[in-house]
Amino acid sequence: MLPVSYFLIVSAIVFSIGVYGVMTLRSGIMIMMCVELMLNAANINLIAFSSHFSQVNGHVFVLFSIALAAAEAAIGFAILMSIFRSKQNVNIDNINVLRW
Amino acid sequence: MDYGSLAFLIPTLPVIAFVLTLAFGKKLPSGGGHIPIIAIATSFVISVLIFFQIGKTGPVEQSAHWFSVLNVGIYIDQLAVVMLMMVTFVSMLIHIYALGYMSHDDAKPRYFAETALFTAAMLGVILADNILQFFIAWELVGLCSYLLIGFWYKKPSAAAAAKKAFLTTRVGDVLFLAGIVILYFNMQKFVLPSLGSHDIVYLLQFSTIFENLQMIPTNQLTIITLLFFGGAVGKSGQFPLHVWLPDAMEGPTTVSALIHAATMVTAGVYLVARTFPMFVAAPNSLLVVAYVGGFTALFASTMGLVMNDIKRVLAFSTISQLGYMMLALGMGAIIGGEAVGISMFHLINHAFFKACLFLCAGSVIHAVGTNDLREMGGLYSKMKITAITMLIASLALAGIGLPFLEIAGFKLGTSGFVSKDAIIVEGAWSYAHFTGDWIPFFFGVSAALLTSIYTFRLWFMAFGGKQRKELHAHESPSTMTVPLMILAVLALVFGSLTFTPFLGFLEGTYEEPYLEKLGEFMGGNEIQGIAHNPDTIILLLPVIVGIFGLVFSWAVYHKRLFSVASIGHMGNPLFKILAKRYYQHEIFIELISLKFTYGILARAGEFCDRKIVDGIIDSISSFIVGGAEVLKKIQTGVVQNYATVTIIGVGLIALILSFRGVV
Repeated sequence: MLPVSYFLIVSAIVFSIGVYGVMTLRSGIMIMMCVELMLNAANINLIAFSSHFSQVNGHVFVLFSIALAAAEAAIGFAILMSIFRSKQNVNIDNINVLRW
Repeated sequence: MDYGSLAFLIPTLPVIAFVLTLAFGKKLPSGGGHIPIIAIATSFVISVLIFFQIGKTGPVEQSAHWFSVLNVGIYIDQLAVVMLMMVTFVSMLIHIYALGYMSHDDAKPRYFAETALFTAAMLGVILADNILQFFIAWELVGLCSYLLIGFWYKKPSAAAAAKKAFLTTRVGDVLFLAGIVILYFNMQKFVLPSLGSHDIVYLLQFSTIFENLQMIPTNQLTIITLLFFGGAVGKSGQFPLHVWLPDAMEGPTTVSALIHAATMVTAGVYLVARTFPMFVAAPNSLLVVAYVGGFTALFASTMGLVMNDIKRVLAFSTISQLGYMMLALGMGAIIGGEAVGISMFHLINHAFFKACLFLCAGSVIHAVGTNDLREMGGLYSKMKITAITMLIASLALAGIGLPFLEIAGFKLGTSGFVSKDAIIVEGAWSYAHFTGDWIPFFFGVSAALLTSIYTFRLWFMAFGGKQRKELHAHESPSTMTVPLMILAVLALVFGSLTFTPFLGFLEGTYEEPYLEKLGEFMGGNEIQGIAHNPDTIILLLPVIVGIFGLVFSWAVYHKRLFSVASIGHMGNPLFKILAKRYYQHEIFIELISLKFTYGILARAGEFCDRKIVDGIIDSISSFIVGGAEVLKKIQTGVVQNYATVTIIGVGLIALILSFRGVV
């Protein structure tokens, strides 16, 4: 059985990729994908600890988390759709009307 | 039956009348004027009933707790009951007169409501059993005076006069309040330990103050009494706060008669009389009272000589007569408690003849439609009742009578003669006899001479001589002439009939041995009593100057034996200074108000407010606004920037926590 730290390293790498994407990418869809990466990094952590401590709690939380991610994706893409209708693209840099 | 239990009704009934008149006056005939008349007449009857029982049962004393540190209550002794009867009686007559005088005015309900409230407030002043309650009612009186002077508030001069009266008396009121505060501290410091702390509620009651007066240091009492006298100076129009009283004549004549001649202005005299033991214990204050009073008597009568407005002549004469009352009280340093009696006696007589004079003036104004004496003349044949009643009141004001002659113990002479004679001979002369200081006597006699001249100048200019102008004068209706006749009869006979019993009755207010002890041990001043057997010339002098004034005015203004125009023009410096009223307007308004208060004080205040107070606030706000201008740039509107900042922040927190070994 693999030690839990391996899973944590993978999870940290996936999370870092997600964070880097959210901070640097321009396209709204790509940002959504990066958010999913961050969520899944958290899921990996949960599963890893859950099996490490031989408890079922982590599995249950992961199910919640996946459902949440699905809902978030649905709303997020709906917002991106309506942005695309008005701006003809989903470039986040252009969406900056809520400012000083 | 103990009528003292009805005492609370005396001020309450006029208050109820005030509310009813204000609420329903518009729907009632004559503006609801009958309600206050009935209420005040009832108060008068109760006062008379208390008057008759007070000799047997002693003073009426009722007191109840009010909050936890003060008492309110009623205290009616001989001094108070005399004032009560005078105020309710004069107020009742003037209300009846006002039914006729104000009949053409649209704002009758307001008028009657305000005069009813005034009467209630004045009765509150008289009945108060502690100094703070006295002050509250005193302020209410001032408010009513303000409202009634400005009764015709659409007239700019009336509004200005009301403001002037309010502000001028306010100066005195502040002094009075300061006196009360200092008195309270002294009572707390020196008297309370001997009473016990639960008696703190009684500290400001007159009876407590008088009983424990010897515990307060004399120099403190001098300050307190001088501050009290400051209040009296404001209310009673003494020099130098007398400036509001002549202007107060802008109100209806009935108001002038009720408030600014007969009742309110005597509140200051009443204050000094009420706190007389304190003044006796601080004789230096009494001397100040005497000198200010005497000087005011003379000073005001000189200005009365040259006024052409009929009501202003009477206003200056009121100031002058109030000066006499103060003079009489001041003589208490030598003659003791008798001074209160003499002063109050003059106060009552003055109320009758001055109310009568004002109401006569009102009758004349009502008939001819002008205040200017120069346009009147020869009115005698047209207004006989007014002319005769006014002549009687003028004789009383000038103090005409027959000295030496007494029939069955009654002095022969008008009431003004009896009381003014008492002030000049028994008061000022006794003082001069024992101390060798003739100045108050000189003030009294010379003011009497001038009083006589201006009084008869007024009467002869209005009623004597030939008509100067075609005026459609007519006699006033009976609601106006009947009060005139009642007051004139009182002005004629009240003084001689009641002189001895009046003084005897008022002697019960303060016990003479107690006053003597106070004066001697506290003030180091021996009360001598009244000097006896004055020289003939002293007795004759007040009457001689009175008759001289009468003859002089008759010759000049009735027969016009020689013209006053040769001296009465602006080229004559003496006339000019009188006509300009000693440049009071220039000194008070232009120098003190405009130059000093506005030019220096108000400007300095404005500088502090604009530059310092506002400056601090402004720089704080501009610092915040400027900071926000810089900081708002953070809000870029780009969500990714926010996310970046959040992530960096969370990362930093995680780093810090891990370095500190928490995680």
